[in-house]
Amino acid sequence: MAEPRRNARQNHLALAKQVIGIALERGLQSGEHLPEQVYSEACGVSRTPMRAAFKILEENEILSWREEEGYFLETGPQDGLTEAAQLLEEMEDSLATRILSDRAARRISDVQSVSALVRRYGRSRNTVLNALKILARDGIVTQLPGRSWAFQPILDTPRSIEESLQFRLILEPQAITAPGFALESKKAGLLRAQMQAHLQTRQGRIGSASFMRIDTEFHGFIAECSGNRFARGALLAHHRLRRATQKDISIPDFRLRQSLEEHMDILDSLEKLQFDVAADLMTLHLRRSRIRRPDAANRGIVPLMRGPNA
Amino acid sequence: MRGRNEAPVIAFFPEASFGAALNCVGIAQELARMGAEPVFVCHPGFTGVFADYGFKEYHLPEPPGGSAQASADYWQAFINTHMPHFNLDAQAQLDTYVAPTWEAIVDTAIDAEAGLAALLDQIRPDAIVLDNVIMFPAIARAGCPWVRIVSCAETELPDAHVPPYLSGLAADDPARAGFEKAYARATRAAHRRYNDFRRAQGIAPLPQGIFLENGDLTLLLSPEAVRYERARPLPADRFAYLDGCVRTESRFDLPRLPVAEGPMVYLGFGSLGAIDTALITRMIAVFATLPARFVVNVGGFLDAYDHVPDNVYLGDWFPQPSVVEQSALFIHHGGNNSFCEALYHGVPSLVMPYCWDGHDNAQRAEATGTGMRIGRADWNGETLRTAILRLLDDEAMRTRLAAISGRMQANPGTRRAAEAILRLL
Repeated sequence: MAEPRRNARQNHLALAKQVIGIALERGLQSGEHLPEQVYSEACGVSRTPMRAAFKILEENEILSWREEEGYFLETGPQDGLTEAAQLLEEMEDSLATRILSDRAARRISDVQSVSALVRRYGRSRNTVLNALKILARDGIVTQLPGRSWAFQPILDTPRSIEESLQFRLILEPQAITAPGFALESKKAGLLRAQMQAHLQTRQGRIGSASFMRIDTEFHGFIAECSGNRFARGALLAHHRLRRATQKDISIPDFRLRQSLEEHMDILDSLEKLQFDVAADLMTLHLRRSRIRRPDAANRGIVPLMRGPNA
Repeated sequence: MRGRNEAPVIAFFPEASFGAALNCVGIAQELARMGAEPVFVCHPGFTGVFADYGFKEYHLPEPPGGSAQASADYWQAFINTHMPHFNLDAQAQLDTYVAPTWEAIVDTAIDAEAGLAALLDQIRPDAIVLDNVIMFPAIARAGCPWVRIVSCAETELPDAHVPPYLSGLAADDPARAGFEKAYARATRAAHRRYNDFRRAQGIAPLPQGIFLENGDLTLLLSPEAVRYERARPLPADRFAYLDGCVRTESRFDLPRLPVAEGPMVYLGFGSLGAIDTALITRMIAVFATLPARFVVNVGGFLDAYDHVPDNVYLGDWFPQPSVVEQSALFIHHGGNNSFCEALYHGVPSLVMPYCWDGHDNAQRAEATGTGMRIGRADWNGETLRTAILRLLDDEAMRTRLAAISGRMQANPGTRRAAEAILRLL
């Protein structure tokens, strides 16, 4: 029974982090009210887990509770709200995510022995093996003959990010047009509400981590609705990999907002059962999302573009 | 001529470098807020960069032989040839780097001319904003006012009390005359060729060493704190100082590092500097020994790095103004945009110049007590460590910079530039 309880705790911690992200995006100041209903909708969850998340934030003195009034922000952006979010991240931390995040940050190489990981993280052999098994389930690591484990390609270089986009261009529109696509309308509505809330924030306030979360949620949702089980499985695994390893993308505020608008246009078409239009919009959205940036530029020289399509 | 109620169209034409491109983005953002319609003329390779900020783009055609492979080969040859030159002092770079770079710049002006003229005919702008170091005759002939942005150091506009351009000298340095003579000699051939091109295009030649005349309006980034008292002050009706020009960017959240404590230090050498992965690898080894967290911009070369220390975070691109704002120290190459962003956010600069006006800004940072210079070729682990720790601990410098930052933020250069451009129409 310990495992489900731990998972629930992890979900509540993740939700609490999401609440802080929203507070930062909306530029909330110390003393402002956080209505439970508004945050449940913004995060796409019911009120019960939201209460649990608020409770965690209260325990960490980030929110305060007032009888018959609800929760209020105690720690504002000037008082270290960002640092508070980092503390929560540490609480949420599991060994599997630490290993993956160290690989994505190129702290550890792509082939690892269990004993090297035991030494680095100061954890038991069994704990390390369990973490590797969790990563193996998502196809992030594979066991080599012997005692080593190899990381599969992750989204950590311009080339791999470009390859990821090309892969998605092949599969995501197909996932929509394949027979049997069924939109789950309640989840679609919640996602739409989250995206609208992001769009209402002040210019420059949408953080890249928070955009990445909502982006992978949206694309993962489209995959989940697909009628083709293989497309669904491959895309879901890929979006999990994106979410875990492609964290530091920096996109101008205008493009972040345009991207969210494009997500909502795709949802509009899906709700009207215009699957071909939605697939075309998805192609357009992905093509526009390609990060087009020279690797090097200098006066007097044609900029250097790398990647498969450069 | 546009109708009375139509938004004025302002065509930006930044050179193919990130400094100029992003500097123009900041001004264009402000112009859009004021109701104008900024558009961008782009060099190949910058396609999409401005569209992601919400601006319409017009694209210059690829130059002859401009395939991806040709550009990669050109860059490889550039790196092989010039990487050792970046270790030379400013005077020694005149023949090895500055002269061939001016030749290449003249080539880009000649190659772009026909395409630029056609695009300006299509856009029919109400004003043109040129952020470059060389003039394009098509702009002079476009029949609308044009604005020059000096986004390099102020030294680009000569004056007896301002040090010679690209010299890294102080204004009163005894080596001044020698440098000026050597600069004239090194740039003579490119300058002669450029003047021939100007004559052929029907515009007047320029005096020795000058590749770009002043516009109907000339804007200088140069912040007051580092500005020179000119022997011949620039007339206020045709020149405006912007006090930096920092754009709005998306917010950067530092991911959690295994080492969670310590001030944040940002290293960004620009896309040119990012090519020198060996130098950055050596610096990262020193960072591992320091009680701080380091955010390092390695450009498109992430895969050149392994075993990244627990207090270091690498990325191929950062929303620089947001990162600088959160940093306690900015290590950069002396690019003028970087230097201005450091001043705007009150952050000390540790300048390791590579070339061009990086030398001038390194000298100016030391002279004004806003930073320190460290040579690319003459540092070791101990000198770099000492420099970083000294700047992190320098309370007097921090106080000075806070005052500079307060003044710059009270009247942002992007707004001053946009207002001055609109007044010109």
